[in-house]
Amino acid sequence: MTVALQTKGLTKDYRSPVKEPGLWGGVKALFDRKYKDTRAVDGISFTIQEGELVGFLGANGAGKTTTLKMLSGLLTPTSGEAVALGHVPWKREAEFQKKISLVMGQRTQLWWEIPAYETFRLNQAIYGIPEPDFRRNLDELVDLLELGDHLTVPVKKLSLGQRMRAEMAAALLHQPRLLLLDEPTIGLDVVMQKKVREFVKAYNKRYNATIMLTSHNMTDVVELCRRVIVIERGVLLYDGPLDRLVERYAGHKILRARFKTPVAAEDLKALGTVVRVEDNSVVLEVPRDRIAASAAALLGSYPVLDLDVEEVDIDDIVRRLFSHS
Amino acid sequence: MRAGLRKYFRIWTRTASMAMQAQLTYRLGSFGFLLGKMIRLLFFFAFVVAIFNHVDTVAGYNLVETALFFLTFNVVDMIAQIFFRGVYGARRTVAEGDFDFYLIQPCSPLFRMVCSTVDFLDIITLIPVLVMVGMVFARLPPLGWGRYAAYAALTANGVALIFAIHVFVAGLTVRTQELENAIWIYRDVMFMGKFPVDVYARPVRWVLTFGIPIAVMTTFPAKALLGLLTPAWAAYAVVLTAAALVLSARYWRGSIARYTSSSS
Amino acid sequence: MKKYLVAYSISLQETLQRRSTLIMDRVGGFAVLLSLYSFWNALLGTKPSFLGYTRPEMLTYVLLINILRSFVFTGRGWQLVGEISSGRISSYLVRPLSYHGYALSLDLAQKTVHVASAFFEVALLSALVRGGLFLPRDPATWALFLAAAVLASLLFFFMEFMVSSLAFWTSESGGPLFCFELFLAFAAGAFFPLDVLPEGLRRALSATPFPYMVYFPARVFLEKVSLAEGARLLAIEAAWLAVFLAAALAVWRRGVRSYAAEGG
Repeated sequence: MTVALQTKGLTKDYRSPVKEPGLWGGVKALFDRKYKDTRAVDGISFTIQEGELVGFLGANGAGKTTTLKMLSGLLTPTSGEAVALGHVPWKREAEFQKKISLVMGQRTQLWWEIPAYETFRLNQAIYGIPEPDFRRNLDELVDLLELGDHLTVPVKKLSLGQRMRAEMAAALLHQPRLLLLDEPTIGLDVVMQKKVREFVKAYNKRYNATIMLTSHNMTDVVELCRRVIVIERGVLLYDGPLDRLVERYAGHKILRARFKTPVAAEDLKALGTVVRVEDNSVVLEVPRDRIAASAAALLGSYPVLDLDVEEVDIDDIVRRLFSHS
Repeated sequence: MRAGLRKYFRIWTRTASMAMQAQLTYRLGSFGFLLGKMIRLLFFFAFVVAIFNHVDTVAGYNLVETALFFLTFNVVDMIAQIFFRGVYGARRTVAEGDFDFYLIQPCSPLFRMVCSTVDFLDIITLIPVLVMVGMVFARLPPLGWGRYAAYAALTANGVALIFAIHVFVAGLTVRTQELENAIWIYRDVMFMGKFPVDVYARPVRWVLTFGIPIAVMTTFPAKALLGLLTPAWAAYAVVLTAAALVLSARYWRGSIARYTSSSS
Repeated sequence: MKKYLVAYSISLQETLQRRSTLIMDRVGGFAVLLSLYSFWNALLGTKPSFLGYTRPEMLTYVLLINILRSFVFTGRGWQLVGEISSGRISSYLVRPLSYHGYALSLDLAQKTVHVASAFFEVALLSALVRGGLFLPRDPATWALFLAAAVLASLLFFFMEFMVSSLAFWTSESGGPLFCFELFLAFAAGAFFPLDVLPEGLRRALSATPFPYMVYFPARVFLEKVSLAEGARLLAIEAAWLAVFLAAALAVWRRGVRSYAAEGG
């Protein structure tokens, strides 16, 4: 197995100007600029093999997106090294850029007023994709992403889900070997999320592409990634198989229920740990293997109006991870 | 090298055509802007002509010569508008994240930022200007082809100088993620280029030649054609542009290395 | 009444806050001022007068252009277009507030700042140049001038408002507005005194409301019209104002109705 990507001590500091509020502060800032240094990424090292599908987890602002941006060559690190597909990313060599792609959720490279197809043609020119390859890749992508006649409609008329799929097509026309996905399912409905996940899985399998994915959506991570890297405040906290992470830190699921009449917390203790009880609703933490039984018990014994089973929020897991270390 | 040029040509024509398509979805607006630009051009020209109904020369130049100055200004300004228009939307490009894509894709991000929004209305408005330039040329006494070559060369030089300014402003926008106000100041001051620089008082002329070198961009080519530009000045123009290009390119490269990207 | 005063003061602060935009606007205005002055100066050369304007009169005309532009040619047109297309206007329509009164208050605040700056620029320029200015001694002239200027600014305000109201029906009203403003600038005599134009054209224009915005008040100031004639023309100006006030309000009412009908 070849190494697709390797980083060593990758670090990124941001320098942002600090200004006191008010008019006087503004005047002072003209003469004496004060800066605040933030370390967004702190000495991150990992190695990823070709064809792996790795999840990048962490709270907002933890440094995941910054890391992805450095790996794509968008940002230059303050210190540290990285080699991806045989190149140093921030040298931005055309050779390298033709092999990678970065997809950012809720951001699009598609031109708004005209059909997505036009942007595809633009990318063809940019990546220098020969016509037969372009046609073939496009057909495959249209098929996999079920884009059908969405390509001839102005992008502004597409729904968010359609736009996201068209965005992915635009990003993959040149068949990149390294795919960096930043929150690809954000804002999408459940059906669309599933479609995107299935597509990513298919792409990974078909082209043996290396995929790095960040997401706040636990389902994305669970479905797609066998390995995860957890980052908190720029520091790498965990790098290993997902099942061990989930087992260790999220051995339970969340059960939310709303009743017709108030139910005493005491009675529910048998079903799981009671997190919160309010008026007619309750939130329980239930071990994964007992979730079905607890849900059934609730439905059977109490006047349930509404019942939800949820994955633990990744932020919670990461918070727990951080408190452990 | 040639493959590279071909690629960029293809990308430019692609984005130009896309920009045109996008604009055509705004038919009424486009018509309004086109009409406005035409009005501005024609009225100003009519004004110049009307003036010369009453006088023979202004600052020593007759109608044909004054028209030449005015039209040269327009040629240089419009070519710059056609090719470098992207900088006017630079702040938005950076703030909305489009610039991130430019950095990741195998195409010069400077090129994408500066040249990606072509307004085909500007191309349309250039046509009457070129026609009028032809009319002015027809009314000039016979001049050697050397003069016309100098005119073309200095016009190209002016466009290159404007390019350097736009690159600098683009770099500034990437660095500070705010200011494209600088480019609007440039446009405001460009108004002064409509008139031959001789009309201005000496201190102002100096500013326009050495400070914000509008004179170099717009007055020099016309003067060269009329045989009023010494080789020394022409050399200054070329050296200035070369220096500006080198410095702005360096500034741009520095800006990209420092780029922080707009979102986390 | 009080709410409009509050709107005025808030807008005043806001205009002062957005320093960079303000500076840009004024730099642009000053560049235009300097170019026009220089051009007319060069035009006059050693002649004692041009088209009946002596040197001091011509220079004063140019300075007046700067002041009148800052006073007359501000408006709330672009803001209105923005507020209609973004939907923000709905919040105004439900309040017990006349949008026109509100917009006028905001406009007045803007005018205050711009006029102050214009006076400063004018003072700066007059200190720098020779030639002297023309300052009328008759208080009646001043009174007439002020009246004409005030009416002019209201006339522009409502004309622009009317064109901007197109935004109720189309999202592309920017084009027509741009075109309108450019055409207006020329027809109002904001670049050059309309005496430059050939007789026929000038007569055609005097049948329109445009010259009343800059040309007429300037001529009043320069005492080129007798008081009686001035009063007569003032009455016509007032009549034009009445026409456009009514038209703007009518279009506005229509627009609001169709806007609300869309459930916007």
